Amino acid sequence: MDYIEHKMVEKASGESLPVDNSFITPLNVMLLSFLAYTLYNFMSPPKPLVLPPEPAPIVFRTFTPRTLLPYNGTSGMPVYLAVRGRVFDVSAGRNFYGPGGPYANFAGRDASRGLASHSFDEEMLTKDLDGPLDRLEGLDEEQKEAMQGWEERFEGKYLEVGRLVSQEEMGNMTSQTQTGGGGEGEGGNKAAHVVAA
Amino acid sequence: MGVFDAVVGPVDNALTGLFGQWNAYSTAIVTTLVVVVSYYMMNMSDPDTHPGLLARQASPSRVRQEGESATYRSRYIPESMPLTTGLNVKDAGASKWSRGRDGDLRDIWKRAVTGGSQDDGPVAGKTGRILTVLGTQNIIEHSLDDITRQINLIGQHISQQGGSRVALYLPNSIELIATLFACSFHDLTPIILPFDQPDEHVIDMLRRSAADTVVTAPGSFPFDSVVQAYPALRQLIWVVDEGNKHLDWNEVPKGMGSSVNVSTWSDILCDSPADAKTAVPERSDKQPKPIVTFWAYKSGETEEMVEFTHGNIASGIAGQLSAIPSVDRFSPSDLFLPADPLANIHTLVLTLAALYSNASVAFNSVAGGSDDIVLATQGIAPTVLVAPPAMLLKAHEEMMDKIGALPRKVIHGFQSRSLSQYGVMPGASSNDSLRPAIGTTPGKLRLVFVAERAGAGTKPLSSSVLSGMRIFTGARIVYALSAAKVAGAVTQTHVHDYRVHQDGEYSHFGCPLVCTEFMLRDQGYHMTTDSKAEGEIIVRGPCVSGGEASVGEVGKIREDYTLGYAENSG
Repeated sequence: MDYIEHKMVEKASGESLPVDNSFITPLNVMLLSFLAYTLYNFMSPPKPLVLPPEPAPIVFRTFTPRTLLPYNGTSGMPVYLAVRGRVFDVSAGRNFYGPGGPYANFAGRDASRGLASHSFDEEMLTKDLDGPLDRLEGLDEEQKEAMQGWEERFEGKYLEVGRLVSQEEMGNMTSQTQTGGGGEGEGGNKAAHVVAA
Repeated sequence: MGVFDAVVGPVDNALTGLFGQWNAYSTAIVTTLVVVVSYYMMNMSDPDTHPGLLARQASPSRVRQEGESATYRSRYIPESMPLTTGLNVKDAGASKWSRGRDGDLRDIWKRAVTGGSQDDGPVAGKTGRILTVLGTQNIIEHSLDDITRQINLIGQHISQQGGSRVALYLPNSIELIATLFACSFHDLTPIILPFDQPDEHVIDMLRRSAADTVVTAPGSFPFDSVVQAYPALRQLIWVVDEGNKHLDWNEVPKGMGSSVNVSTWSDILCDSPADAKTAVPERSDKQPKPIVTFWAYKSGETEEMVEFTHGNIASGIAGQLSAIPSVDRFSPSDLFLPADPLANIHTLVLTLAALYSNASVAFNSVAGGSDDIVLATQGIAPTVLVAPPAMLLKAHEEMMDKIGALPRKVIHGFQSRSLSQYGVMPGASSNDSLRPAIGTTPGKLRLVFVAERAGAGTKPLSSSVLSGMRIFTGARIVYALSAAKVAGAVTQTHVHDYRVHQDGEYSHFGCPLVCTEFMLRDQGYHMTTDSKAEGEIIVRGPCVSGGEASVGEVGKIREDYTLGYAENSG
């Protein structure tokens, strides 16, 4: 309060500051710069929105048991598993199928027999990676139905990223394409009827 | 207090000193500031659509085959859902939630006649008008009952005379539409020929399509050469207008043989009393015969014959109807004018979509003959227009010539900025007096559809031409990519996509409709890698004849996930 009284006395004593009537005063310069900044903000166009690109799509490829093996979730690889020749990307279920999970045995392997028999043991997986695929002999109707159910669940929940063939079939396929025999090329879930333009 | 004096005192003195300098100029500057801020506050408006929707348009699949790119779809149809197959037509009395059927042209005409149903927007029972434009002073309105009568009589006549494949060689007119619907109701195959072609091409198209009936207008059809070169022709119906009604069209020139049964449209109609047969025929469960169209490539090249089932057409129409936001959809208050020949499948699908939505439709036989937008829209005030790209290009060039000098160019620049940067249609300006006189009432046009015809030698438009035309017409422009085997469009730009992009010479073509999906197949150095996707455009979907077809052009995916033509590098 003292301060304000002191100021009021000062003002009342009548001394007034000299009024500077020129255009360029510090106050005017500040106001002009404020005006210029406002105009610049309004006149400049809004920046176009650029969204980051989506991750590149996964290429559908043909796996052999040996090439599928690295995809078991270790060292940053995604988790794949195969059911009845179809390879699914189950990285979303890393808790189950990834390393340390209850079904980790299935990662990077052909899980058909294991899923049919509801067993996660080592015996359910094919031992010989270079040999033919597990032909699923000795499974009864109930087990085949169970495997069908599992396959449909995978189809609905996970992305199909490839197919599994044995080492021998892969050798046949590559030699066919090399001799120009019109090898099968892509697998896939769409039958393409290409109409020539 | 000491602290108070030591801190506040100097600050107070400084502020007093600063604002003590206030003079008249300061007041002027602050007034300018207030005016500027309030002007922008009042004129600021949100863009017509969210920029995020335009920044990523098509959605790719997550898996792709070797040698191909991912499959790109509209973001409204996820990977697991099937594409839209048809119009979801429900019979009268069916529950609102029942699953409708795909529909065909018979359902389209039925709905055009009876008016829209309650549950999807337009007022129940409101129908549109059908007009023929014969010049600025002569607009004829046809009643829907009258057209239904024509459909019934013509269809009966042709099938009674033993015809089964009907070729239509007509300009845009009521007769073309009526014969098309007549074929759908009476189990005949319509064959739509592009109008005004050289004689040899006409004969060749008739032969390839195995037509046994022709409905055509005198003066343009090479009757003599056709009868000599194509003996399988059995029936001919002349569509005679007022000018040459007095001539006797029933006589066949001497020496032509009597194998061709010649009659006229008006004779067939006169045979029945005027109020008979005005009811839409009952729908039978039999599938109507497919529609045969010809895709005209560059002049001189052979046209490609494509057969579309009614399912293809219905799917294409459904795709077009859902591509427009519901606010801008066709409604009974719209007047639709196809300024492009109906022989183009894209224009035909849009016209059928307009009929299905109970919009008023006008036919002008000038369509296809001239590139003048003023001539094409004379006499009426269309709200929706389908135009060939050459028409827009010509109008744009004329307008830019008129604009020419600096002050108008600046205004045009501001309007372009409003569109491309701010995403809103520009307001009125002094340049409006230069606009082309589209229709009788200026400012009615609200939507223009343009289609790039793949392989047909039309020059694709650049995005600055499209933006300029948005300003000059005051309407929103939708640029589509159309192909021979696709009913409707392959991809189409969003209605509110006003962006102008500098990369590439031509505008992009937007994102797929809900009835199409496409992928790019590697071709030479146009291939798909992790960073880019280029290749030959392959389209799939229920609106594609044969299920899958190649567009015949090389395309690429741009960074906003729209389709564009790929440039040939090197």
